[in-house]
Amino acid sequence: MINLFEPLKIAFASLLVNRTRSLLTTLGVIIGVAAVITLVSMGEGAKSFILDQIRGWGAGTNFISVNPGEADAAVPELTLTIGDANAIKTQVKNVRYVMPEVVGRGRLRYGKKEYTPPFTLGMTEDFPYAYTQKVAEGRFFNKAEIDGRKHVVVIGKNTARKLFGEYSPLGERIKINGVGFIVIGVLEEKGTLLFYDMDDIAYLPISLTEAVLGTKTVTDLNVVVIDEASVPQAVTDITRLMTRRHGKQDFQVFTQQGGIDMINNILNALTGIVSAIAAISLLVGGIGIMNIMLVAVTERTREIGIRKAIGAKRQDIFLQFVMESVLITMSGALIGIAVGTLAAWGIMTWLKMSAVIAWGAAYLACLVAFLVGTFFGVYPAMRAARLDPVEALRFEV
Amino acid sequence: MSADGRPVVRITDVKRTYRMGTVDVHALRGIDLRIERGEFVSIMGPSGCGKSTLMHILGCLDRPSAGAVRLDEVDVDELDDNELAEIRNKKVGFVFQTFNLLPKLNAVENVELPLIYAGVGFDERREKAAGLLESVGLKERMYHKPSELSGGQSQRVAIARSLANGPSLILADEPTGNLDSTSGEEIIRLFQELNNKGITLIIVTHDQEIAEHSKRIVRLKDGLIVADEPVNNRRRAS
Ligand SMILES: Nc1ncnc2c1ncn2[C@@H]1O[C@H](COP(=O)(O)OP(=O)(O)OP(=O)(O)O)[C@@H](O)[C@H]1O
Ligand SMILES: [Mg+2]
Repeated sequence: MINLFEPLKIAFASLLVNRTRSLLTTLGVIIGVAAVITLVSMGEGAKSFILDQIRGWGAGTNFISVNPGEADAAVPELTLTIGDANAIKTQVKNVRYVMPEVVGRGRLRYGKKEYTPPFTLGMTEDFPYAYTQKVAEGRFFNKAEIDGRKHVVVIGKNTARKLFGEYSPLGERIKINGVGFIVIGVLEEKGTLLFYDMDDIAYLPISLTEAVLGTKTVTDLNVVVIDEASVPQAVTDITRLMTRRHGKQDFQVFTQQGGIDMINNILNALTGIVSAIAAISLLVGGIGIMNIMLVAVTERTREIGIRKAIGAKRQDIFLQFVMESVLITMSGALIGIAVGTLAAWGIMTWLKMSAVIAWGAAYLACLVAFLVGTFFGVYPAMRAARLDPVEALRFEV
Repeated sequence: MSADGRPVVRITDVKRTYRMGTVDVHALRGIDLRIERGEFVSIMGPSGCGKSTLMHILGCLDRPSAGAVRLDEVDVDELDDNELAEIRNKKVGFVFQTFNLLPKLNAVENVELPLIYAGVGFDERREKAAGLLESVGLKERMYHKPSELSGGQSQRVAIARSLANGPSLILADEPTGNLDSTSGEEIIRLFQELNNKGITLIIVTHDQEIAEHSKRIVRLKDGLIVADEPVNNRRRAS
């Protein structure tokens, strides 16, 4: 039976004697592991951040978005219309909500106060249900008001604050680009979505955008179907219907799953690149470790001679040196994991996101470090094990 | 000399030749030697006559180029490297001129080394090593590093180490060579004590006075035994 504990203790003691050198030796491993851990932690953090944002906004997996422009167009041609939205709602099966979006700029005026929020949007009555957007005060406009071209507006909390301060804006009359409106609702706060302040915004009936914002171009068209299972069929139906209406496919249909897949793909590609860099740094680190271990074997030739003279077998010496090499790489991996996690945590905190501890990558790093330490430790350890005891004892440093 | 017919060492026609490029160096040219249990033998001879070479072969650190080596009734020639290591560990204890302690380990850890390779567990080997240090008079120095010990003390630690696994034979290659006469005297007294307890000893020395503390002197010259006689007026270390 080979006792692994004693050579491990001997290896550990030797390692502690040369603390600084051991640390420097393992720098390559530390850097490689730290890089991977940082990126994976940040990537996982970013992914959960983005997914949280999408979910928090209410866009679930039963969302389908239709974007204007051909697949490879550099500048998309904005050919979507409100008519397209109506057609989808009435002709495609299992569609629950349809939300065409007309984005414009509206100068809001209340008395003498004037404010232009980043976005003023034409919207349909489905909006609060589709996005689970609660209305804090008042209500959202309904279909009758859209069809009747009623001059009603719903605004976000921050926009309300800018115009009305702490007073309730409900029922107040404001002007949008000079046209009179009544504020009928204030939306509950949503925070930021991918760095846009979603509470600094104004919604008005989509039927009024041409008159008030001077545009009726639909920039985005979001569709919600009754459940996730209906998504594929709905995508096919929407594509066929729209292609028939436009005479060609000058639009693209995305699903949330597609978006999540895309984020995953980007992250996987990044992880792949960094892993490749890390692999190279581990390889270089491994060669460095082999080099240092060869030096250590030479330096400790006499020690090896003494150990052999008092009864150490080849395997005892071999294990002692392999374990020393493994201990060096493993401590490198552990330091790298700590440094990488700290770095990721620091960067993510600075970005106001939270880092996720990359356990999987950490286990993998330990495993790889173990393999690197073993692989590059074998040759020096074999040299040590094969030393002739008499010659080793004669060796002068 | 016990005549039970079971010698600790019996070597016949042992030769050891080193190849130096194209030249053969004949370090040992046919040695026959029989050493009984309980003997205390000094090996003497001019520098380069092959004393250390012989000790290495007796200690299973080296193999002869020709001839037979029997240690404790075991034919060493037939053993593989691992079995030789086991003999070095259990049957012979080596004491060197330069002590050869591991500098990073303290006295008791140095004494424990052979016990580690013999697979003895921590508690048992610590107890045993402490006992051995006590028997060489170094109980108080257990946790001292070799750099904190005098030459004589270091050599006593090395002797304690050589005794760790209860060997049949202690081999000491110029054990007093690096010591002043007082420390040398202490070491030789220790050897006499050990021999009185029945331990078989072979020492190499250049010092006639030291050699006269043993029971038998074997003289080598140019790789051959030229004299082998008992010590008549054996000295007693004070
Ligand atoms: N590894 C070696 N390679 C070549 N020649 C060697 C080797 N070891 C010893 N010799 C030669 O063998 C001969 C015997 O050497 P050995 O060391 O046994 O002498 P010794 O009697 O111990 O000498 P000293 O009293 O100086 O220690 C010498 O001529 C030496 O040069
Ligand atoms: Mg010699």
